Amino acid sequence: MSSATALTAPRPATTARPARRLQLPLLPWLCLAPALGALGLFVYGPILWSLWLSLHRWDFLAAASPFVGLDNYAALLASADFRNSLERTVLFTLVAVPLRLGVALLLAQLLIETTPIRRWSRAVLFAPYVTSGVAVAVVWSWIFNSDVGLVNLVLRALGQPGLPWLTSTELALVSIVIVNLWKNLGYDVLVFTAGLAAVPREVHEAAALDGAGRLARLRWITLPLLMPTTFFLLCVMVIDSFQTFTLVAVMTGGGPAWSTDLLVHLLYRTSFVYFEIGRGSALAMLLFVFLLALTWLQFRTIGRRIHYGGDR
Amino acid sequence: MSRAGSRIADLAALAVAGLVGLPFLLALAISLLSPDAYLAREPALWPPRFDNYARALEAAPFGRYLFNSLLVAGAVTVGSLATSILAAYACARLEFEGRDGAFLVIVATLLIPSHVTLIPNYLTMAALDLVDSYAALVLPSLGSGFVTFFLRQQFRNLPREYDEAALVDGASRLAILWRIVVPLSRPAIAAMAIFQFLSEWTSFLWPLIVTTSAEMRTLETGLAALYDVAIDDGIVSWPVVMAGAVLVMAPGLLVFALAERHLARGVAVGLAR
Repeated sequence: MSSATALTAPRPATTARPARRLQLPLLPWLCLAPALGALGLFVYGPILWSLWLSLHRWDFLAAASPFVGLDNYAALLASADFRNSLERTVLFTLVAVPLRLGVALLLAQLLIETTPIRRWSRAVLFAPYVTSGVAVAVVWSWIFNSDVGLVNLVLRALGQPGLPWLTSTELALVSIVIVNLWKNLGYDVLVFTAGLAAVPREVHEAAALDGAGRLARLRWITLPLLMPTTFFLLCVMVIDSFQTFTLVAVMTGGGPAWSTDLLVHLLYRTSFVYFEIGRGSALAMLLFVFLLALTWLQFRTIGRRIHYGGDR
Repeated sequence: MSRAGSRIADLAALAVAGLVGLPFLLALAISLLSPDAYLAREPALWPPRFDNYARALEAAPFGRYLFNSLLVAGAVTVGSLATSILAAYACARLEFEGRDGAFLVIVATLLIPSHVTLIPNYLTMAALDLVDSYAALVLPSLGSGFVTFFLRQQFRNLPREYDEAALVDGASRLAILWRIVVPLSRPAIAAMAIFQFLSEWTSFLWPLIVTTSAEMRTLETGLAALYDVAIDDGIVSWPVVMAGAVLVMAPGLLVFALAERHLARGVAVGLAR
């Protein structure tokens, strides 16, 4: 727009000028507004609110919500339910994570070669990961059913007594570990094969020339070079384990005798079954701080992974 | 590896795939038994019967659940991609004060597990009188730190000369986004769309909390409700429940079978989640 037209038509020019000047800084913030608005309303706001709720006594009906300091936290930490849940979650994590790492590493070694059959197998392995969690929990509930389930049918056919897979305090958590392994196998193997593919072939060939056997190469070359991948996966798995909900909710409902009452399930029933909002919020905050630390660790390794990848 | 070794490894891979795929086959097989045959000692697998599917559809409105799941996952995918594309564009290709801060605020949400926000988000929906509505299912997922982060990386890698040429030609910043940046980033956007759709499609805890009526259930919460009823009845009619499970798994598995390559990539780029 030339200044001559601006002079002859002052009105549009006066509105256009300031708008122009505003336009450049305004546009970026207009672009950011929807995302920032959504995240502010449903992520940042809620965290602060959660913190507030965890420090107050509040229920749906009462008008007043007095400040109670750390009472909710104290009550939570002192409760048998929380201790049990924490203990079961830690136990679950200690069993599930090494198992997932070991099986995935083993299968990744097998599936890294790209013959048609192994490519196809990798696809099959991935199917549980992308499927409905509730549906697979239902299917596995049948598999582990003590009367009519597949596992016990097989055991009995072999002349063994059937086991109470989902109805005993010792075995229920084991059953969840198994289904959890099965459900995530495709993802775990995918990450490991990506890590294995990044190990340079020449290193292996040089080691083989020097007389290193398969096991020696695995121990001294593959595993060390896979460390960043393994550590990343370890973080993912621990975070995962601490957030397991669907399998437990459908397969055992936290039972028997709360032996599978993992932390998020406890959070769910405290907040949305018993409506103890303050205590639920305290639990959410504790979970948050713990997972924040873990996610932070995990992100630092992603940064390193990208670095190794030589993107830049 | 020697040829024989490779052959053995192939067989091992096949065995693993068979074992992993077995639960799906079992679910299908049981869902096709006639209800009486299931109770028999040696159930006849042939001919397949569809009674259980009819009964499952009678027991629960799976058509409605499917509609709800499609609607919610579709709306979340479109909505979160829209907010993320705009934000990623601003952070990647516009110069302004506060850009890095804004990006940090968005990306930092990656560190926040969704369970922390369950209670407050529920209270928000209750305050807005939105409990048991589509809005309640969709709204909390409309912003995504991960998708924004991923797309910003993508947008930054596009050559800046395109923008400059378009600016010289008089295109507006938004026209550049829509005509140049988005079309050039189609694979990345498609991967994110798959990732978002899938995670919403299988989401369970939030719909479980925020919906109360049968009409608002998604496939996940709907199947869980059917299963609960079956358990509470004491007589779990497994063939009917399995038919329900197959109905719930079928759409996802079909899409997966058809587009496995893209899907695997979509999920693979979601590694961080």
